[in-house]
Amino acid sequence: MMLALVGGTHRTVPLALRERLVFSADQAIDAMRRFRERFPGREVVLLSTCNRVELYSAGEQSAGPPPTDQMVSFLAECRGIEKSELAGVLDGQLDEGVVRHLFSVASGLDSMVLGEPQIIAQVKQAWAIARDSETAGPLTGEMFSAALRTAKRVTSETSIGRERLSIPSIAVADFASGVFERFDDKQVLLLGAGKMASETLRYLRTAGARDILILNRSRSRAIDLADRLGATSGAWEDLEQQLQSADLVVSTTGATKPIVSEAMFSRAFSRRCGRPLVVLDLAVPRDFDPSIGRRPGLWLYSIDDLGAACEANRKSRQRELPAAIAIVDEETRRFMGDLHHRSSGSVIERLRADWSETGDTELERLFHRLPKLDPAEKSEIRQAFERYANKLLHPPMESLRSASHAGPPHGLLDALKRLFDLKD
Amino acid sequence: MVTFVSGISIVCFAASYGVAFLFEISRLIFRSGLRGAAMVGFAAAGFMAHTLFLGWRAATEQAVPLSSAFDWYLLAAWSLAAGYLWLTLANPRTPVGLFMLPVVLGLICAAQWASREPFSQSPATQVWGAIHGIFNLLGSVAVAIGAVSALMWLIQADRLGKKEPPIRGFRMPSLEKLAQITSRTAIIAAWATGAGFASGLVLNAVNRQRGLLDTVPWTDPVVVRMGALVVWLVIVAIVARVMARSPHGSRRVAILSMISFGLLVMSIVWGLLGNTRHGMPPQQVFRVHSASRWVVHS
Repeated sequence: MMLALVGGTHRTVPLALRERLVFSADQAIDAMRRFRERFPGREVVLLSTCNRVELYSAGEQSAGPPPTDQMVSFLAECRGIEKSELAGVLDGQLDEGVVRHLFSVASGLDSMVLGEPQIIAQVKQAWAIARDSETAGPLTGEMFSAALRTAKRVTSETSIGRERLSIPSIAVADFASGVFERFDDKQVLLLGAGKMASETLRYLRTAGARDILILNRSRSRAIDLADRLGATSGAWEDLEQQLQSADLVVSTTGATKPIVSEAMFSRAFSRRCGRPLVVLDLAVPRDFDPSIGRRPGLWLYSIDDLGAACEANRKSRQRELPAAIAIVDEETRRFMGDLHHRSSGSVIERLRADWSETGDTELERLFHRLPKLDPAEKSEIRQAFERYANKLLHPPMESLRSASHAGPPHGLLDALKRLFDLKD
Repeated sequence: MVTFVSGISIVCFAASYGVAFLFEISRLIFRSGLRGAAMVGFAAAGFMAHTLFLGWRAATEQAVPLSSAFDWYLLAAWSLAAGYLWLTLANPRTPVGLFMLPVVLGLICAAQWASREPFSQSPATQVWGAIHGIFNLLGSVAVAIGAVSALMWLIQADRLGKKEPPIRGFRMPSLEKLAQITSRTAIIAAWATGAGFASGLVLNAVNRQRGLLDTVPWTDPVVVRMGALVVWLVIVAIVARVMARSPHGSRRVAILSMISFGLLVMSIVWGLLGNTRHGMPPQQVFRVHSASRWVVHS
């Protein structure tokens, strides 16, 4: 075993539990460092988005990744959740299962919205954080870069992401458009200034929204996004006041607790004089306190409320799914072949070193017997020896490579060790 | 051409609308690229036949639209069919026909039951009669359209409340649009039906004053029902106006509009089956008058 994965997605983990399980960027860095301390020598990458929390671990043969139940315990401990709560909802994968899963995730095949492009950036970011905090290593590095390569192939070779659908686009098209006929006369309030907010803003602009106000705790990020995409920004302190005047609120912050409490919402809502309000709370954990509940004139949707709409969207794009899965399968096989072949690397290196040493000894003896050889002739002879050794090694290397596609070539490696008396 | 036009019957266009309605229902079952064209084709063929039928009656039987109960119902159905065609062409993904075509077919059925005898008319009352008929027609069409949009509002609100995705090929207009239509039609229906009722009163008063045969007693069931309907529609219009900004406003107006349509249907059924002198031709009026204790002015 070289690779292991433990995680849960929107399909398996209820929103209330996902809210407690999700990691902010700082929390993810801290968790990965703690993982390295507890399991020395193991690589780790933590992917935490609003729809999934996944812990990837890798290790070479001598120090493979920890057992999945220990990884579940670790996640539970990090988030202060009882392990029993997670045991039933988190899935574990090993080796090829891990690779296939990550490639599917990066390609958007495991997303709420099939083929959505946002996940590629999230996978890239998770890997970058792990690399910067020195918790990733060569194995996870190769796996994540292969995952991004696979995602690019799926995007370019299939039309699964042609419409560039995303959760914000479904939220606006299927729900906000069900309430409002047009957006050019509506006041839109966008909370947050991250990638989801940016995606939402672009879609709202396409849908015709003109009057868009961005509020973010960090005012500079709100100003930056507003400047880039032609919106306006406001002060975070005006949130309650803006809730009174907005027609559509899209909330995408990374806050770990609700930013709109029941009391604040009630005060703002009571001053709206009955005007309908659509709230698309796309954040995990939710930005709007779940106790706000149903009220006449309020259409409040959390990310899990979009599940059925996303599933309908997924079904409508299923036609492209087999081609995308075929690419994921092909890339998985290629990666696993390379990974298995990599396990035979030490044996090949030793074999090469032995042969090289023998060759050098023989060459020294030959040059000693033929003292009149000039340096050019010696070099020619040395190169001929090397070519000869390489040609002899080529067939066994190819046999090892092709055997690696079906799994680790333990039999051939044992045979090589015994035939050439290679010591560990 | 004349033979072709004279051969058009109610069955021709009713069947075309019926087939278009079946195509509308099939939206809920399967997807097809050809269905839209076939659906509009049948509806347009029906509408064309419907138009030619009314035109032929006007040309050959001096049955100008609105000159008999039969023609009145067919003209109401024709107005709604025109609205259906226009809305379907403008919004192909919206299943307007599922809601409007049953009303069209219902009005055609009502025409089959209604009297084909022309309303009595004299030069003195012709103008008031036309005004009475046109406003009543406008009011009834507004009530029907209001009920259709109200029903769509309730379905859309139910879907959004349950947080369900839209059914593919069955995309409803927004609540905002539907509420606007429902509210506007409620106001138009109140004005038009009120004007129709008032012009009917004037028409009857003129007939009485001139001592004509076809006066309708003020206590006639149709007069009482229409009076009550006008009062109801005015209340609905006031509610629509006053509650436009209330959180519950749109839902209440939608429910009231549905009730208005129910009352209109009851009124039509009662008019078809009940005993009334409203709209009776002179001969029938005479028979009814003779059978009762009604005083006939000669």
